[in-house]
Amino acid sequence: MLTRTRVPAEVTFLGCVTFLLATGVIAEHDVLESFGSEAILVTGAFYIILAGLMNTGVLYWMSKHMLGEPSSFKKAIVSLMTPAAVFSAMLGCLEVTHLFTDMVKMWARKLSIAPSKLLMALSYAATFGGMCTLLGHTSNLVVAGLYVEQTGKALNLFAPLVPGLACTVVGTILIIFLRDKLPPRESPEVSFEETSDYTVELLVPTDNEAVMQTIDEAGLRNVRGGSLIEIVRFDKEVISPVPADEIIFGGDRLIYSGQINELLELKISHGLVAADHHVYSINEIDSNRKMRTAYVSFGSDLIGTRMSESDFEKRSDMVLVAVARQGKRVNEQPRQVIIQAGDSLLLECPSKRDNYLEDTYKRSLTFFDSQFVPHLGSRTIISASILVLMFIFSSSQVIPLITAVMIAAGAMLAFGCCRMDSITKYIDWNFLLSLGAMMVFSTAITKTGLVSMVSDPIVELCANNPYIILIVMCFLASFVSEIFSNVSAAAVFFPVIYHQAVTLGCDPMPFTIGLMTSVTISYATPVGSVTHMHIYGPGGFNFTDFLHIGILMHIVLLAVNIATIILVFPLK
Amino acid sequence: MNTTIKEEEGKMIASFSGRLDTLAAVQTAKDVQCIIDSECTDVELDCEELEYISSSGLRIFISILKSVKARKGSVVVKNINDEIKKVFEMTGFNKLFIIK
Repeated sequence: MLTRTRVPAEVTFLGCVTFLLATGVIAEHDVLESFGSEAILVTGAFYIILAGLMNTGVLYWMSKHMLGEPSSFKKAIVSLMTPAAVFSAMLGCLEVTHLFTDMVKMWARKLSIAPSKLLMALSYAATFGGMCTLLGHTSNLVVAGLYVEQTGKALNLFAPLVPGLACTVVGTILIIFLRDKLPPRESPEVSFEETSDYTVELLVPTDNEAVMQTIDEAGLRNVRGGSLIEIVRFDKEVISPVPADEIIFGGDRLIYSGQINELLELKISHGLVAADHHVYSINEIDSNRKMRTAYVSFGSDLIGTRMSESDFEKRSDMVLVAVARQGKRVNEQPRQVIIQAGDSLLLECPSKRDNYLEDTYKRSLTFFDSQFVPHLGSRTIISASILVLMFIFSSSQVIPLITAVMIAAGAMLAFGCCRMDSITKYIDWNFLLSLGAMMVFSTAITKTGLVSMVSDPIVELCANNPYIILIVMCFLASFVSEIFSNVSAAAVFFPVIYHQAVTLGCDPMPFTIGLMTSVTISYATPVGSVTHMHIYGPGGFNFTDFLHIGILMHIVLLAVNIATIILVFPLK
Repeated sequence: MNTTIKEEEGKMIASFSGRLDTLAAVQTAKDVQCIIDSECTDVELDCEELEYISSSGLRIFISILKSVKARKGSVVVKNINDEIKKVFEMTGFNKLFIIK
């Protein structure tokens, strides 16, 4: 559903919050408390810290120098997964995946390994590493925040370290053993360059000399690198197959199948253009415009839309020329294709403003050839020091996590590691809104008495055995997070599992940690894991690619996780 | 869609009324076949009552133009409305026909 939905998640969630408020299920102060909770504040402040680390080149330097030149695929997996897991524990799994993606793709090409194989290993490593600290996954912060609300006691930054570390070690070993099962997918942007079968759309300007000639006379039927498959007229009439004596009209959209690079030569040789609107003369088009490739990320507002029907091209001054889906040609007129998450788009873009486009449309597209290159200097050392100090102070409990993160964010701004006037740009407000709504749902579940209704039958069914209850709840939470997200699963399950622990007279801590780590064990679908979602487009994966080893990983790691918690944390 | 063909002082005049869309184009093509088959070199296409023209309709105009030009004649398009004028400008037809 997420691959096709057009309604942003935060809008849906806020709609639900409004409904709960309007129906009196929750009060205004519940909403205010949820949106001002520790999870929200820490996540928001952490965006500033990450921006500082990114701008000053700390993350760039780390990712560039950690990978090395391993001699085998097995060693490459270890070289990648070790630093990715460590950084993920410190910086968050999604940020690390995002940071490493382009680097890993270049590295994979250098090592002659399919990028998809290493990207999947990266995604797993980031998820494993993220299980070790509260900052590793947003769901960890959600659970920690809800725990503080219930008990008044803050969790240590490394509270989930032991089960997280056990899962990281076992998971990494499993990935090494299953390395041949990692799917070898063609990288989408490479397929644009190399595949001989893509659909390209070009427009005939009114003053083109081919107007009123037949297709054959104009030499536009069988061209170098491909052939004309259809003509779309100004009134949407489609001519396919195209007869040799078909007359060309100004404004015709010529749809070609073939090798993209060669077909794009028609722009120079025959004066055709890529345009979202009618073009009277080729002179209207900036001749310095360039082709860039981007992929449609999960949650993009382009999902479910057709370029021909949306105003995206007009707003962004980019024109869709071709679409690839999982490394294959989409057999439709590109601008009529209903866009899906993971699609790779070839876009004709303005000659300048690369950074502006990447920044403005980051919710819609992720460009393969990102122009961001940080400057290394004294601020690189300052921002790295801020991060290290934040970890030392919060893990040694000198100051609470929220205070440490807020001070670190302030220090990043004070030392000029990120710009104060751009502070709002660094924060993913949409995600924070969704997160706030999740916290509200958690409160609503408690207030409506739903907790007892769900919790008590499970307790009875499990014969009041805390071990069985822990296993059942961890399994259920993990399963739910495969379908929805780990944040939603964490927010919804926490009140239930906490209630069960209290009812049984157990220490809620092991149940809390069990839930925290279980919801991040969701590997079988790209929807369940934010890191899988992130690599879905760049890796050119199919939806089912994640199932092959994902189910096995899910079962084994869930078992390891529960066993570790039972062994390490006494339930009573 | 209705097409009337008449001949006045050696000039063939085709008058169109209604919407010349893809469906109507089939019958209209048959109606104007007599102009294409004739030896007339002076053809006038009166579009005063023509409300809309599709790409199929334009193809008929092109067929007439080609046959008349082959006879070294000329085709005049008269009284087109603003919408059709835009279509002519966009497709480049305004440079091929004499428009009055």
